[in-house]
Amino acid sequence: MLNNSMVYAAGAAALGTGLGALLAWIVARTNTPGRALVELMPLYPILMPPIMKNIAWILLLAPKSGILNNMLQQYFGIELQVFNAFSLAGMIWVFGLACVPLGYLFLLPIFLSFDPSLEESAYIAGSKPLNTMFRITFPLAIPALLSAFVLNFLRALRSFETPVLQGTPAGIKVFVNRVYDSVALEFNTGLATAYSMVLVVLSVITLLFYVRATRFSERYATITGKGYRVKVVDIGKWKYVTFLAVLGYFLVGIAIPFVVLIVVSMIPYFDYDTFMKFPSNIVFSNYYTVIHHPSFVTGLYNSLVLSTLIAIVTVFAGIVMAFTIYRTRTYGAKVFEFIGTLPLAFPPLVLSVGLVIIFLGTPLYNSLWALGLGLFVAYFPYAFRNASGSIVNIHKELDEAAWVHGAKWRHVFFKITLPILKPSVGGALFYIFVEAIRNVDVAVLLVSPGHEYGPVTLFEYFRVGQWAEAAAGGVIYLVILIVAVTVAKVAFNIKFSL
Amino acid sequence: MTKKSSTIGAVVFLGVLSALQGGQAAETKDKETVQKTTEKKVAPKAAADATAAAAQAFEKVSKELYPKAKQEGNLIIYSVWDVEHLRAITDAFMKKYPGIKATYWQGTNPNIVTRVLTEFQGGQSSFDVVLSDNAPPVIRAAGAIAPYETVQKDVLHIHDPTLATVSLQIQALTYNTKKIKPPDLPKSWEEVANPKYKGMVALDDPMRAGPLSSMLAGLKEQWKDDTRFNNFVKGLKALNVPVHKSTSAMFRLVIAGEYAICMPALLHDVMEEKEKGTPIDYIKTVPPVVFPRQAGIYVKAPDPNAAKLFAEWLISVEGQKVIDSVGRESSRRDFESKTSIQHAFPKGTKPIPVNDKLFLEDPKKWLDTYVKPIWEG
Repeated sequence: MLNNSMVYAAGAAALGTGLGALLAWIVARTNTPGRALVELMPLYPILMPPIMKNIAWILLLAPKSGILNNMLQQYFGIELQVFNAFSLAGMIWVFGLACVPLGYLFLLPIFLSFDPSLEESAYIAGSKPLNTMFRITFPLAIPALLSAFVLNFLRALRSFETPVLQGTPAGIKVFVNRVYDSVALEFNTGLATAYSMVLVVLSVITLLFYVRATRFSERYATITGKGYRVKVVDIGKWKYVTFLAVLGYFLVGIAIPFVVLIVVSMIPYFDYDTFMKFPSNIVFSNYYTVIHHPSFVTGLYNSLVLSTLIAIVTVFAGIVMAFTIYRTRTYGAKVFEFIGTLPLAFPPLVLSVGLVIIFLGTPLYNSLWALGLGLFVAYFPYAFRNASGSIVNIHKELDEAAWVHGAKWRHVFFKITLPILKPSVGGALFYIFVEAIRNVDVAVLLVSPGHEYGPVTLFEYFRVGQWAEAAAGGVIYLVILIVAVTVAKVAFNIKFSL
Repeated sequence: MTKKSSTIGAVVFLGVLSALQGGQAAETKDKETVQKTTEKKVAPKAAADATAAAAQAFEKVSKELYPKAKQEGNLIIYSVWDVEHLRAITDAFMKKYPGIKATYWQGTNPNIVTRVLTEFQGGQSSFDVVLSDNAPPVIRAAGAIAPYETVQKDVLHIHDPTLATVSLQIQALTYNTKKIKPPDLPKSWEEVANPKYKGMVALDDPMRAGPLSSMLAGLKEQWKDDTRFNNFVKGLKALNVPVHKSTSAMFRLVIAGEYAICMPALLHDVMEEKEKGTPIDYIKTVPPVVFPRQAGIYVKAPDPNAAKLFAEWLISVEGQKVIDSVGRESSRRDFESKTSIQHAFPKGTKPIPVNDKLFLEDPKKWLDTYVKPIWEG
């Protein structure tokens, strides 16, 4: 069981982080045609809730009813069931794709803020562009790469959807099934907590590995006092290969699952024949149902406000903590490297129970504050890991120059660190906002009776298995998020990357 | 945070453990408290009398409870039901009984059990009534339910003297009409285990507290024949088909044509899909398995009279109409609707009730005792 868990989590994290890093490098550093157009592309899948991706891929890859196997049979006469969503490979594929955006978001700011002199030295020494990438560029991005890998690995270890929907039918049990059973069969969160301790231990080991790999943080400093300007590298004929890679990702990571869900939201029910008849059998009843959901508007408004606040507060707190650990000599600060990441090791319900016990009997219980604090605890690890991965890349000499001139820590923090971190701040804000707006699990026990919190109602369709309504809800939610992100980008001039 | 979390974890673990042990003790103490389904053939006149008597009893009790409930002023519900359904139900209740403000919190069964037991152990008077399927008996076993017997018990399919059965979860043997033709269909639940259905069946995981395990509990009690029961579980195992932890995902895959037979599906889902023209139907001659959906009153309820009034109103004809309007099944024998047993199944069909107390209160223990040795052995 642990073996399955490790293969699944490591496989998905490696696939997602690797692909995300590759895309970030292509966008930031190469002369791949049309790369500016794809700047925001790897971010779109974040907008799609994880369970929607599972559903889309199950519809595509199911052995008998899946769209791809049926197409192979219909158009090429291949009777063999080539694809199987219910397999370890299927699980790694689906969760791996869900891990791409995080890898991309963590690596993009690093590649964009590179000190070109490091690469120039390699060129002077006669190194070719690709060789330089693999020998100089990627090794320098190791802290951010590991940060993203650790997060993705932990997310995969504790995620329920993929093991439950795709693993169980294949008889593949992963560790999180134990946690799931103790909650869903025994109604015993205490036992679930005990099982989660295994995840905590794994998290600590993973973090120890990370800390050890980045212990000489100066080595990874790519932003120095010498000034930098992103240099786009001419990769020659390889640019067509990278273009194909981007196109390939666009198809499998975004276009295909999105199209499947859009079609599913507009057909009466899903089976292969009905799917292929689209658009002659188009219906809009699913959209009607979702929009007329009694708490669609109030719930959505509450979650938009709350998620925006949570994103701002957590990202800021994450930067302060990373700054304290890496830039000040505060006693015991390193311990927070672990503590700040630990909430990730707990499955959401376990974390939620812990928070309920803390708040129970205080005036905070059943208030919006408790919900806000709960979301803060749940998302702090993302903000913190993102900030620490980026701070390691800023050379201390920038701070030291300020210290020499008598600056206080707050001057260093607000005038130097924060402005340099701007690109990664934008990415983290966006990521946490989108994650928090659809959070159901951590928030659920902290919502007081009589209050509606958007995602709970919007994602109810997934829970009750109405996939067509769920797809329609997902599409509406996607449109709202795209509008929200565009407004944020225009109104506040948030720059995600280029 | 970490240290605190682990301490908290240990506290919850011990708390829930002692609650479960308490439940086991309670189980021996009042082993006979759960009344068996009243399936006796009721003559039309007697049925009409029972309906009239229930109406009168409801009228009387609601007159007594309403003034007190109005004084309490609030009703807080914890429920697994969809928000849409809860909204319709609370709106109708507040319209009928002005002066009572009904609010709800919605979560899954594990969420409900966790929240209720944590609040119970923390001495919180935080809510009044829990409205759900799996959660109420588990909460009762932990001592957090105040027993309440409805005055309308004579019209119910399943009656429990401590929890009001307000609706039913009805399981039907369901199939994809494009994938299997009527002559090839199984004639009973038992026949699904026939090797000829290998590769055609979608099986709910029998080792979780889901529809298949509750069906097994119902069949075991009805058959009272261990060999037959063991052979059935062995037969299901021998099919060697994929098992699903999500009944809804499994149902969608049957509609998609991945499987021909759904073991099992819920009647209201099937009815809803049939209306849409989905290629799905159920076998009417196979008796449905019925699982109670109950309203349990919290032992520390701040508004106990409002909670009782709510439970009684849900069982009344008016309450059942609202429950039916949101697509949930009625718990009354005298209530006609498209999902009522008398309407959806042939006359004289005897439903298979799930009322094994051990299964309801500690499904893990029941499964470990009766299913695990065969399924995993």
